[in-house]
Amino acid sequence: MSASERFIALTLAWTVAGAALAGEASPESAPAHKTSPDQAPAQKTSPESAPAQKTSPESAPAQKTSPESAPAQWLERMNRALTTRNYDGTFSHWHGGQVEMLRIIHRVQDGTVSERLASLDGSGREFIRAGPSLTCYLPDKRTVLVEQRPPQESLVGFPAVNDQTASFYDIREVTHTRLNRRDTHVITVSPKDEYRYGYRLWIDDSTAMPLKTQLCDRRGHVIEQIVFASLTLPAHIPDSAFKPDVSTAGFQWLRNESGPPAPAAATLAWNAMRLPPGFRMAARSAQTLPGSADPVDHLVFTDGLASVSVFVEAQRRGQADQPAVPESAAVGSSSAFSTVIDGHKITAVGEVPPDTVRFIASQLKAEEPAAVSSRRR
Amino acid sequence: MNEELDSQLSAMFDDELAPEECELLARRLSRDEQLKARWGRYAVIGAAIRSERGVLNAALAGRVSAVILAEPALAAAQGARRAPARWWQPLAGAAVAVGVAVGSVLWLRAQAPFTAAPPSAQLTATVSVPAAALLPAAAAGAADSYVVPRAPAVRAMVPSTELANYVVAHSVFSSPVGRRNLLSAFMASESGTAAEEPPVEPEGNVR
Amino acid sequence: MSADASDLSLVRRVQRGDKGAFDALVLKYQHKLVKLVMRYVRNPAEAEDIAQEAFIKAYRALPQFRGDSAFYTWLYRIAINTAKNAVVSRDRSPIEYDLDRNSEESYDMQGRMKDSETPEGLVLTEEIRSTVNAAIDALPEDLRTAIVLRELEGLSYEEIAAAMACPVGTVRSRIFRAREAIDRRLREVFEGGLGRAEELG
Repeated sequence: MSASERFIALTLAWTVAGAALAGEASPESAPAHKTSPDQAPAQKTSPESAPAQKTSPESAPAQKTSPESAPAQWLERMNRALTTRNYDGTFSHWHGGQVEMLRIIHRVQDGTVSERLASLDGSGREFIRAGPSLTCYLPDKRTVLVEQRPPQESLVGFPAVNDQTASFYDIREVTHTRLNRRDTHVITVSPKDEYRYGYRLWIDDSTAMPLKTQLCDRRGHVIEQIVFASLTLPAHIPDSAFKPDVSTAGFQWLRNESGPPAPAAATLAWNAMRLPPGFRMAARSAQTLPGSADPVDHLVFTDGLASVSVFVEAQRRGQADQPAVPESAAVGSSSAFSTVIDGHKITAVGEVPPDTVRFIASQLKAEEPAAVSSRRR
Repeated sequence: MNEELDSQLSAMFDDELAPEECELLARRLSRDEQLKARWGRYAVIGAAIRSERGVLNAALAGRVSAVILAEPALAAAQGARRAPARWWQPLAGAAVAVGVAVGSVLWLRAQAPFTAAPPSAQLTATVSVPAAALLPAAAAGAADSYVVPRAPAVRAMVPSTELANYVVAHSVFSSPVGRRNLLSAFMASESGTAAEEPPVEPEGNVR
Repeated sequence: MSADASDLSLVRRVQRGDKGAFDALVLKYQHKLVKLVMRYVRNPAEAEDIAQEAFIKAYRALPQFRGDSAFYTWLYRIAINTAKNAVVSRDRSPIEYDLDRNSEESYDMQGRMKDSETPEGLVLTEEIRSTVNAAIDALPEDLRTAIVLRELEGLSYEEIAAAMACPVGTVRSRIFRAREAIDRRLREVFEGGLGRAEELG
């Protein structure tokens, strides 16, 4: 058992760290931190670099040289590792009294992300991403969903920790400990209100991969946990690794329409009248969803850590006479909420507590038609 | 307050309290989180004085408590039917307890400044717990007291295809960690293995 | 004979359906049980697992407990059996993983880290130990003697009264006051920052 470390509470010199992050991470500045291709080059440089890198090559120059860098930098490194490195691992996912084993394979090659997430127990479901194409195999429903994303989204920028984020989360390095014979930094991200979740992350000192992740409610109760059982970071992963194990004979295939939807679609622009503190709109697009040709407005709100998507669809004919019963659903710790406003179906989904999606969805309102496409990506 | 009364807990802890007084105090102890927390700290004090090895917190107690809460009350095992028929509804105390975790110690929290409510109340309605999650792993001998849950409520854990679309479309915009949680949960299904507390071992079987 | 009246009063409540009463029993005996199990397994995480299993078995078997023996004796036997079984069946095949020849970094989980060994848990142990020790050093001598005789030597109040040449009531009072003094400091440790949100208000 490892030594018991002295409890460390880092008083974060936030402005310094925040500024450095903003400089190095690039997705920040404008609220629209999304899918610009500029990020691709910056992220491409890291995967094949020297092994056992203790600090990422993009460390902000002004920062410390010692491993005890600001906790937020560890988050940054972790995010970078997760999005830019090749890895292949199995992990357990625990939530709501159930545990399941999954396999994840992730590769970044020539600016394209390939990813495969497969359930090793029960469901047999698989999620495969190959560049702009997201495919979801649902053998238990005998269905395959295929969603084409716009090509330039391949290396999408994730929500980035920034100055705003610190106002709503307390980010600390709690200790430096060994987890299964690896040195890890334990970073806690504690939400300052009920609108968001907290995290405890055991971040590997040498690869910055999160070996163990706990998603917690505001009081620190673990709601969801992911722990890697095995993990390798190979230099090369063959294409065959991203083929599904599922046989799809007789399955229903649902695809979305690629390309922008008919102009008649977004005559109204929607926005949230109020948002929980710290949330702001980060992206907005129009798309169609697999299985339907109807256009859907897709808004993304984020507080830098958690993000919530809101989908707005005109109610289909025949649905108008259905009562507008708000519906809640949960996907693990993530929440979804659906309601009808002004004849449109509003659905909010995000890694936030149920009340937050409910709040955001309820605040949706159509803006004046004039204010439309100016904010489109 | 009167020291005679106050010191009852300490005396009972040492098994030096008259039986009648034990009965009364036991009742208070089982319901009063503050009292329970103090009792727990008495145990920690003893262990610390004896320099016992092992971790000095009550995470273990928290885990056991969570498991026990999900089990039928012992009276039920003797024939009386109880709440299990309503597992599929999130019930304070019963249904929600499976979400109670580990690092957050049951009795430590009672000391948190603004929290007087018992742990179960805090978790009410924030998590929709699938019916299957409430089955303890191996109910030795008590299996016959369980009622098979009826059809899951609206709060289904397994997303409909429509929700699946939203999840996938949203996943592109989540943070890497959030995304992994979201998609993993989405990949998982009701056929996952019951595990009352978050395991570390990757094996599906917990107990 | 009121020996074990304390445990019995709790046990009876549990038998009648009061689960909270079982918490009290677990809180009281968890350290003892882990210490006992560690005679069989070295790894503290594993010991905790086994202790946990023992408690749960005890809970389920409680309807059959009649009070012929002391509760702790009964619990103790369950724990030993559980520990022995665990040791016997412990031979698990190692987790397989592919070692990619090109891989830069790889590792394999063979040890286990229980969640009670969250960093907060480990840190807390040291804090607690030093806090308790410091508090004891700061106690007036009569309080310190009383609590040490009780916790370290396991003497009954009567025995302590004889050793300290004072009435039993005084012993009870001294032990209580010693615990309260230590507890005052201990509460600060628990309420101190553990990365949780409570302190942020």
